[in-house]
Amino acid sequence: MTTNTSIISTGFQQRAGVRRTYNVIRNAALPILIVLTFIIASFSVPHFFDFNTIRAILLSASITGIIAVGMTAITLSGNMFSLGVTATTVFSAVIYIWVGQASGSMYVAAAAAIASAVALGIAQGYIVGLGLNTVIVTLAVGSIVYGITAILTKGQVVQAEENVHLEGFATFALFGVPLPIVVFLVFTVLAWFLTEHTMIGRNVHLLGSNRETARNSGISPMGTTIWAFIAFSLGIGIAAVLQASQMHQVQADNLPTLTMDVVAAVLVGGTAVTGGDGSPIKSAIGALFIATIQMVMVLLDIPEGTRYFVLGVVVLVLVVILHLLRKAGTR
Amino acid sequence: MNSVMAWFKTYLLQIVVLLVVVISMYAINPNFHVEASVERLIPLGVISAGLAVTMIAGEFDLSIASMAAFAGALTIVLSPMGLMLATIIAIVVGILLGMLQGLAIARLGINSLVFTVGTLILLRGMTWLITGGVTVSGNDFKEAKVFALKIGFMTTLSLTAIIVIILLGIFLSRSKWGREIYALGGARHEAVAAGVRYTRGMIIAFGISGGAGALGGALVSARGNSAAPNALEAMLVGALAVVLVGGISIAGGKGTMVNVFLGFAIVAILQSGLAAKGAKAFVSELFVGVLLLVVVLLDYLIASIAERGRKKKLRTQALLTA
Repeated sequence: MTTNTSIISTGFQQRAGVRRTYNVIRNAALPILIVLTFIIASFSVPHFFDFNTIRAILLSASITGIIAVGMTAITLSGNMFSLGVTATTVFSAVIYIWVGQASGSMYVAAAAAIASAVALGIAQGYIVGLGLNTVIVTLAVGSIVYGITAILTKGQVVQAEENVHLEGFATFALFGVPLPIVVFLVFTVLAWFLTEHTMIGRNVHLLGSNRETARNSGISPMGTTIWAFIAFSLGIGIAAVLQASQMHQVQADNLPTLTMDVVAAVLVGGTAVTGGDGSPIKSAIGALFIATIQMVMVLLDIPEGTRYFVLGVVVLVLVVILHLLRKAGTR
Repeated sequence: MNSVMAWFKTYLLQIVVLLVVVISMYAINPNFHVEASVERLIPLGVISAGLAVTMIAGEFDLSIASMAAFAGALTIVLSPMGLMLATIIAIVVGILLGMLQGLAIARLGINSLVFTVGTLILLRGMTWLITGGVTVSGNDFKEAKVFALKIGFMTTLSLTAIIVIILLGIFLSRSKWGREIYALGGARHEAVAAGVRYTRGMIIAFGISGGAGALGGALVSARGNSAAPNALEAMLVGALAVVLVGGISIAGGKGTMVNVFLGFAIVAILQSGLAAKGAKAFVSELFVGVLLLVVVLLDYLIASIAERGRKKKLRTQALLTA
């Protein structure tokens, strides 16, 4: 008996070249956009191409960027994103100042702040790992943490006393480069290495691209999700320490736009919310791009209201374009 | 009689939680007036109803709080032409922007969570733009009074909200387009295969959500006669709490306006009870967060116990037949 198996052409093979082109465009789009913004801005914006401006851009990108790089692990693992960034960061910053006040050592304080952020992260990772929706869990935990912070601080400004020196992490500079920028770079490279070249990173990728297959190949969704949340919380803790030592004071209502800035950085960077596709480096570039745009607008003296609006337009347009490119690249 | 029992069974968890909340609020605060204090939170109910519709359609509208803030600011900015007219314009703008959002999500095939995070930032930016970054206030106090007018024991404000929720409930459960929203949320592929128009469903769902968000925001502004660029940010958590505490499934296709009403009653009584006790806003936000977390965890526990029971039953059946 012969079975007639004629090959039905779907055109999938033939389109490989086109798909590759789309993916190249998608991966290169943001770096090119940043370079273009830099070139255009250095000619048209006064005081833009200047050591101080560029240092300021990197500094303002570093806090958002560190958290965005950490959050990429959550997004890669298919758990979307956290909407409780601000609350946890402020909480850790308060811990940093309080412990620093009590112990007198900024290293002990930093360890305590990072540990508290990680503890909160593990708790959330566990709940999300059970199969609950990340957005809802992190929003709920966010309001709980915000409430606790406000109650503990009584809504007041938390400040270290004169004789306690906690600003060391912000004032320290390596060859003229402030520590936050160095930390941002090191953290990004580390996160990239962990996601691309280690077992746990591979597991995060696989869990995000296909949950069922990952489970069937013996990857624990619970464990992997908790690891992703630990990476995210490390970012939060480090960012909180840097922020608190920069400002030397903190209040429960601080950093209101941080959550959205971080989410925007991850999305603009081009990591897929469906999981499995993306990289911490992309999120770092996303944060850098947003900081650049903001700095250009500040230098051009654009009023605050318009700045928010332009930022919103830029984020939405980029997200849609990246989505269309991804769709075209996988068809 | 049977249908009444079935009704009670559907909403049993919510009714029990509601009773617990009411009793505990009366316990900590004997002269607590439910009607008077819930009144203050009416806009939350409207916004939650909007959020519920997109959730029933199996989507997520994170932009709803920003939409409320934008519509609230628009109401005040336009109020020189009359507060009533300004309110109506703001609501129409909200509906149109929502429909546009639904169209974009359907046509682009983009994850609604991603797109609405984008519009969350964009609408907040538009709010900053039209207010100029400062708190704006209207000067039309005559018309502002209309919203506080009492009809029976309710103000026009709460009456509007209740009518809107009832109309939405009738639309969802009785009309063809409303049923289609359930179909799209419950089983999208099957619904589309059976002839439900996906794009139209998304436009309707997000249009309703945009309109409800705008109405909620406009009511807040019209009552307070002012709007701030960073206002109503906590509304998203509040509305999510109302919707999920009310028992609407995040997976889509399940839940009614009765769920929204019960969820709203629970959250509103909790919040106003705490406020009456003199608790600050952040304390009530803390409690709303705890409530939200407890309810989603409870929901998960009940579902997993039911699943285990089902598996056990299947196993014994298999053993018996073997």
